[in-house]
Amino acid sequence: MLKYLLVVLARDATSFCHYEAGGRRRGGADLIPLDRLEAAVLFALKNNLKVNFLYPGRRLGRAYDKLVESVDHVKIAPFAARSSHPGAILVVESSAVPGAADLAGLRGENFILRLRRADLPLLAAALKRLLPRAKRVNVVLADVAGCGEAEYAEYRRQLEKIMPEVLKLSARPDPPELNVLTDRPALGRMNNCEAGLAHLTVGPNGRLYLCPAFFYADPRQSLGEIGGEIAIGNRRLLELKYAPICRICDAYQCRRCVFLNRALTLELNTPSAEQCRLAHVEREASRLYLGRLRESGAGEGLADIPEIAYQDPFDAAVEKKMSIADFKKL
Amino acid sequence: MSSAKNDPVKIETDRSWEAGRSKNVTFVVTEDCQLRCRYCYMVGKNKAGRLKFDVARRAIDYLLGARDLVTEPSVVWDFIGGEPFLEVELIDRICDYFKLRAYELDHPWFDRYRFSFSTNGLLYNDARVQRYIAKNSSHLSVQITVDGTRAKHDLQRVYPDGRGSYDDVARNIPRWLEQFPKSSTKVTVSSDDIPRIKESVLHLWGLGIKEVNINVVFEDVWKPGDDERFEAQLVALADETIDRRLYETRSCSFFSKTIGLPYADNNNWCGAGRMLAVDHRGNFYPCVRFLGFSLQKRPALTVGNCFDGLDRNRLRPFLTLDMVTQSPEECVDCDVAAGCAWCQGANYDFAETRTIFQRSVAICRMHKARVRANNYFWNKLGRKLGRDLRAEPQGGEGAGPC
Repeated sequence: MLKYLLVVLARDATSFCHYEAGGRRRGGADLIPLDRLEAAVLFALKNNLKVNFLYPGRRLGRAYDKLVESVDHVKIAPFAARSSHPGAILVVESSAVPGAADLAGLRGENFILRLRRADLPLLAAALKRLLPRAKRVNVVLADVAGCGEAEYAEYRRQLEKIMPEVLKLSARPDPPELNVLTDRPALGRMNNCEAGLAHLTVGPNGRLYLCPAFFYADPRQSLGEIGGEIAIGNRRLLELKYAPICRICDAYQCRRCVFLNRALTLELNTPSAEQCRLAHVEREASRLYLGRLRESGAGEGLADIPEIAYQDPFDAAVEKKMSIADFKKL
Repeated sequence: MSSAKNDPVKIETDRSWEAGRSKNVTFVVTEDCQLRCRYCYMVGKNKAGRLKFDVARRAIDYLLGARDLVTEPSVVWDFIGGEPFLEVELIDRICDYFKLRAYELDHPWFDRYRFSFSTNGLLYNDARVQRYIAKNSSHLSVQITVDGTRAKHDLQRVYPDGRGSYDDVARNIPRWLEQFPKSSTKVTVSSDDIPRIKESVLHLWGLGIKEVNINVVFEDVWKPGDDERFEAQLVALADETIDRRLYETRSCSFFSKTIGLPYADNNNWCGAGRMLAVDHRGNFYPCVRFLGFSLQKRPALTVGNCFDGLDRNRLRPFLTLDMVTQSPEECVDCDVAAGCAWCQGANYDFAETRTIFQRSVAICRMHKARVRANNYFWNKLGRKLGRDLRAEPQGGEGAGPC
């Protein structure tokens, strides 16, 4: 069921996920046309959808502001534009993590840390800066394709390194959440992105997409116009039930990014080795975190995360096909 | 009713060499062919797509070296085209190179290999082909495609000018059967040749080809009433097979004890992705149906190449494919589903979106017709022999290279 709508307000709106946004084009035509934005807002109002607006690092003008404010929404904006968008989710690039002075005065923020592979060794340090100011930090590895053993090992090292800080902050009355460590212990089932199922995206051209990444990869991959018939061919392949690797997996915090699936394996329902390995580094780190949380006397009510023998659920899926009876129970 | 406890029933087809255990690697040595068969899925035949020895050598080097990824204990090197014997000298070099490198590397495949050919048979008596056969006979399978009677064969298997090829193939069959007495042929049935099925199978058996592998095309070519005509042909074939006791010495893949039941497991039918096809550019494909010249609507789907190796991510969908994920609910719940085949390449080509996870159901009615005729065959034969034949150990129906 659709729950929210992502609206990319400009071609150069900040990326908050596994894709690169476009730059500004000469001669304008970068902003979503006002009539399309109006159509998106109407669509949201008529379908009980909350809207996430993706902002660029510049002001859009009064007409845009007025339309944005006419619907329940969340703003996602680059950190540099924080003063223009109080309360927005702030996107921090790992290449430009704000210093103490920039963070002064901030508290209870929602951050998205877009991490580059090259900056992996700096992850713990970046989180140490952001977490005390945060209500929640989502870490997103921006360039997943091509990760190998060295990256998986470094990622694990960094998550273990930040663990004491997260444990220390967990004693606060309002402990910050860190998606890659604190989500999995709190989840009893998959909590994925669900692009195409729980949300759709309006691109800066005013057309509908599965998510922003599909627009930036190829604007021709549109699902249609706002208000028209939404054509998602083989929609069932977006569902967990029809994903042979994911449906047996318990890395519940995984994004299960269908864009990366499509880009790396050519199939919407099949994750790449990189996605699975990274999600299982997080799962294992979360398991260790939960153990330490319990040692400190906390973590009551959280379910165990079992130790498993594989690092990639693909191996388990190949070894044993799900039975027809088990499939029917899903 | 007679009691015939020990009468042989040979009718089910045999499994291929090392079935399920060997790696199938298909070299598409040429995209050219002397024929333009009307039902052929290779719709883009051409003279430009010819494999070069250096590319084949790179592919062999890679596959022999990638022991962590290619773990099968034996190998079947399939040579197809187009028509593979158009390139028999190249094939000879490729085979020699494989044998030499496998020996040098002390590779397990050194003495566990087959060279396999699917050919139209037109060049079978060519001196170069015969030299190759003599040189490799102990590791060789050759399957000549004869489609049945002259009328059925010439309906589909024609030269570019429309002439039928039956006579040119038939004259080579005696020598082929002399050299490969256990050989089988592969018959393909499309809508137009349904009325000739019975006479064609009987004709092939009469030629001395004891094993006839036969299947309907996966493309959506079927017309209203085809299923009934198909069933009538198979029932007539069943009658003749039983009345003339041909089941004792002949086999036909239409009849199998294991088809027509609900699905017992969730396996994929097709071996695409576990097999590998190599084209003249050195690209790897999940099977030959994923090459550009085999596809009508979709672009070619590669899973790596002999220079950079296999793309493990692109293989993941193939290796995790199962029946339930790609099938409509009606297929999962179908009471007679077992034995209903599909082709991953055809599924990919005809799917609504670019995916291998949407099963084509174009042959649904044809499968159900086959099941009814198959039930008729086993029940009638069982009554004749006084045995519950379907309770006896099964023969060779199942997935494999197509």
